[in-house]
Amino acid sequence: MRDEPCEESRLRRALRTLRQIVYGMTVYDWVRELQKERGELERFFVLVVFGDMIGLPILPPYYSLRLIPYTVPLIDRWKRCILRERDLTDLFDSEIG
Amino acid sequence: MNSLFVLIIAAAGIAVGYGLYAKSIDRRVIQPDNQKATPAKMYMDGVDFIPANRNVLFGYQFKSIAALGPILGPIIAVQWGWLPALLWIVLGTFFIGWVQDYSSIIMGVREEGQTFGALSYRLISPRSRMILLTFIYFYLWLIMGSFGVQVGFNLLTNTAVPLGVIIVILVGLLAGQMTYKWKQDIILTTVITVILALVGIWLGMAPGVRNFFASLYGTAGGKASPTLFLDVTLAKFIGSLLVVIICYFGSVLPIWRWAQPINYVAFWIVSLGVLGGLIGLLIWRPGMGDFPAYRMFDVPGLGPLWPILFVTIACGAISGWHSLVSSSGTARQLEREGDAIFVGGGAMFFEMFFAIMAFLTATVAFGSFDGYVKAGGGAAPAKVFSVGLSTFMNKWGLDKLVGEGFGVAYGGVFLTLMALTIMYLVVRFMRVASAEALGDKFPAIRNMHVGTIIALLLTLALIWLVPFLQIWVVFGAANQLMASLALLLITLWLMSKGKNYTWTFWPFVFMFVTTIGALLYKAYEAFFIKLPQTADPAKYKIANVGQFTAAQVIIGIVALILVIAAGILAYDGVTAIRRYRAELAKGKA
Repeated sequence: MRDEPCEESRLRRALRTLRQIVYGMTVYDWVRELQKERGELERFFVLVVFGDMIGLPILPPYYSLRLIPYTVPLIDRWKRCILRERDLTDLFDSEIG
Repeated sequence: MNSLFVLIIAAAGIAVGYGLYAKSIDRRVIQPDNQKATPAKMYMDGVDFIPANRNVLFGYQFKSIAALGPILGPIIAVQWGWLPALLWIVLGTFFIGWVQDYSSIIMGVREEGQTFGALSYRLISPRSRMILLTFIYFYLWLIMGSFGVQVGFNLLTNTAVPLGVIIVILVGLLAGQMTYKWKQDIILTTVITVILALVGIWLGMAPGVRNFFASLYGTAGGKASPTLFLDVTLAKFIGSLLVVIICYFGSVLPIWRWAQPINYVAFWIVSLGVLGGLIGLLIWRPGMGDFPAYRMFDVPGLGPLWPILFVTIACGAISGWHSLVSSSGTARQLEREGDAIFVGGGAMFFEMFFAIMAFLTATVAFGSFDGYVKAGGGAAPAKVFSVGLSTFMNKWGLDKLVGEGFGVAYGGVFLTLMALTIMYLVVRFMRVASAEALGDKFPAIRNMHVGTIIALLLTLALIWLVPFLQIWVVFGAANQLMASLALLLITLWLMSKGKNYTWTFWPFVFMFVTTIGALLYKAYEAFFIKLPQTADPAKYKIANVGQFTAAQVIIGIVALILVIAAGILAYDGVTAIRRYRAELAKGKA
């Protein structure tokens, strides 16, 4: 009787593993695609707000200042994305997959 | 030998290979540190770099590496006998296959998520990046050709298959629409679309539908399809056009609209097929009958056992495609270094199991070597697989449930979808690569339709002109050569870090020598054995001298280009090895 909870949790663990593997084979790609779309929108948004940083003053500073609280958390990611050197072999993941 | 015994050998190979060898390399040489921040955590941007659970990533890795290669390769390779094929599938995966996949991931993780182009630039030489890309372009072209022939000439020409494929594609589009536009629940979407797809495959077998395709192909009343040009019949022409049209949409439409939802529905069709086949096999447990363990050293149409067998099995034992996917995709999503062995090594051993299933469809499903040859043999491995799979599925009464021949139609659609899932991605890459390389000189190539059409015209040239087995062997050699170049890069990386590199260096040497040998053999065969045969076409049964000549020239030139590109990379690689050794000696002094 004492072994039952242990067996049950093992079974549950196995089912969870199986579910996660199937998720990885199927829906995970869709989720990444949506994340990619959101990421691109965020990059575009930060570019509009802080275009000055790369010499493109798109938005008057007043609105940039108003948007600062929303955009500051995104700036690190944005810099990494914009400045990262890309190679054609990168395409084997996101751009073609 | 009994099929159950083969499955036990494969399971033992996995247990020892993964449980002992792979884990010991991981523990002793790589020494993963789960406390260290991986690129997925360090550079998390929510797009390319994003940490994922190990089980999820295992599924993602397996889905990315499994295609038609592990299915067709073993079915072709049993022509040397079942024993050499089985040995190479198990031992190749054991000593080389997982090594390449796993170490590609680890190298990507430890090198801040850099992919092969950037790493070859840094570790080998600046020119190696460009050479590697040229090499990859030809390699991808060969993938398109070899998969295209099987789908266009062997699968879609079966009148029970095309409607099923078309319906699955339409159902895939519906899945995309339901999920992205109508915001429907994924489980509901899955249930509806998979049921519709199964009904579609079943409808494809209806006599009216088959008669329609038979009249379209000119095969009504059991006639042979008329030849249009070269040795392309009307049926093959329509089949190959269907392939390029599907790939065209896969290349130019957004990924969420076409490739992704179709691949999603295809996944369920393929999984249900594999499961159905495996259950049937376990119920039936047939033996190999008179299928010979070893037939001959030199198989006509293929070549000598060494080096050709080792490139023919392709992804069933080791594949260059895996290293590209592992370094660019998986390495950037690894949450902890310790997960790499499960994700990279585990997925490769799982794929070996897939190759063993394909091996069994060829060796046990027909009860004899003659049965295998009558089902299509090495020239039509896709047919062999679909018929073999249906034989397994019928053992648990599937045929009685849904009608005669369902298994064959199902197997045909199954393989077509497996090929197409990779072909979309390959055309997309070829389009972008040609735009990058030639876009400055020819701005028109930057247009995605132009780039796609060029890639598809090249594909059609290969499909229409070159016999399948010739494309397959050169594709296999390019694929394995890509793997050996990946192993070279990994060896250099291990040297630069002062780690034990023998476990990647010797696999590199073996694969490099074997694949270069295979390509040189194919070039020699094309230029010095086959081309002279055109002097006496009647004696060598050459139907069309022009086509035969073009095929040999294409195969010979492609093989030589690949050898030259690999030779330059290897030369630069050896120079780099000397450099690292000198640095190591200096460091010790």
